[in-house]
Amino acid sequence: MSVLSGKSPQHNPAAAASVSPPLDKSIFALLLLFGILLAGLAGLDTGMTGLSLVILGMLLGSVFMGFQYGFASGWRRFLETGDGSPLSLHFLLAALCALVFIPLSASDLGPMGSLAPVSVSLIIGAFMFGTGMQLANGCGSGVLFSFGGGSGRMIVALPFFIIGSVIGSLLLPPILGWGSLGQIEIGSGMSPLTKLAINLALLLGMAAVFGWLGRRRGFYVTRRMLGATVLIAVLCWAVFWVSKHPWGVTFGFTLWGAKIASAAGMPIDQFTFWTWPGPQRALQHSVLSDTSSLMDFAMIIGAGLSAAATGAFAKSAWPNARQLQAAALGGILMGIGARLSFGCNIGAFLAGTASGSLHGWIWFALALAGSVLGIRLRSHFGF
Amino acid sequence: MQRTPTPASTAIITPRLFYALAVLGLFTLAIIDHLNSPALSNLGAPTELGNACAPCGAPCIDEKPK
Repeated sequence: MSVLSGKSPQHNPAAAASVSPPLDKSIFALLLLFGILLAGLAGLDTGMTGLSLVILGMLLGSVFMGFQYGFASGWRRFLETGDGSPLSLHFLLAALCALVFIPLSASDLGPMGSLAPVSVSLIIGAFMFGTGMQLANGCGSGVLFSFGGGSGRMIVALPFFIIGSVIGSLLLPPILGWGSLGQIEIGSGMSPLTKLAINLALLLGMAAVFGWLGRRRGFYVTRRMLGATVLIAVLCWAVFWVSKHPWGVTFGFTLWGAKIASAAGMPIDQFTFWTWPGPQRALQHSVLSDTSSLMDFAMIIGAGLSAAATGAFAKSAWPNARQLQAAALGGILMGIGARLSFGCNIGAFLAGTASGSLHGWIWFALALAGSVLGIRLRSHFGF
Repeated sequence: MQRTPTPASTAIITPRLFYALAVLGLFTLAIIDHLNSPALSNLGAPTELGNACAPCGAPCIDEKPK
């Protein structure tokens, strides 16, 4: 691979163009430096766990970037063209994750699935998130890996996502109790095997339905994206085993925003959300001591290294002002929505459905409905 | 590195430059936060990551708000 070889093909531009894209040396070096620093600090702080999560985060960033594995664009393709193949893969990914999440959660080995309450806040938040991800052109993981890859749109969307998620953290506590049915597990009270079978049947059934809908319109799941789905599932298993929880993205953004707000003098620690044990601990400790935050940093580096190695930065240009406004609005909506609905496509939909939690399914339905509105709004922003 | 001028590269602040500054700022802030956190007092005695009950921001199972 030219990226690692001593003789760069850049000495011969014509050969370079035909052999491999140019390496963006300065960006690559910058990210490599931060990657080494991140791994070193995380390793000193949390030992092999932190180091492993940095490596897994970088691999996830690289895979998402390399395969352009998007949730927002896949859902939009389904709503606009009837191509159900991306959604089929997303449900297949959840089924593969469930294969490990549900049995391990039922064991005494430590890892626990992602359960969250079914409530009005979930419905409002998921709908907002779905709308926002279409306006910003990326979901939680999409914003992260595209930002890592130097996307001008996501350079705008990410700060607004962070701002929105801090606002969401302040809004969640008073709204959380509205119509709350508590956490509902699909197959609760049944044996782990039966619970796994029911959830696998539901997830694979949805994968089959969306696959069939796509085939009716002449769209098929490609081997390449099927391979990417399996690869991401394996990485999700590893994250689940190492961190003891399913992979989550958006809490890291909320923490970054809260830290900045706190440094600016805002008494963020006095708000109810930040007095809950998890958020309180995260706020009091380093941003590298929280799994979601640490993996977000690593994912940016992994995606950035991948983009730098393939010359993706040279291709990026600023979208027009209207699209940047859409990215900002989408970021805010996703930020608030993620906190109200307990995550994004990764933390709520994927982790929730793969853990057998009903909230993941409700999140999917409402985010898909929100995507319909988001797609309609895109035309007002010149998409 | 020599490049053929493109609309992206002729802009005053390209996404590439903005990205480099954003990443520099983000990671500098992260490192400053880390160095000012209790993490440094635990060198050589790694601690557990703090996501025990809020990986998705949801309230803890045994700490549900009333």
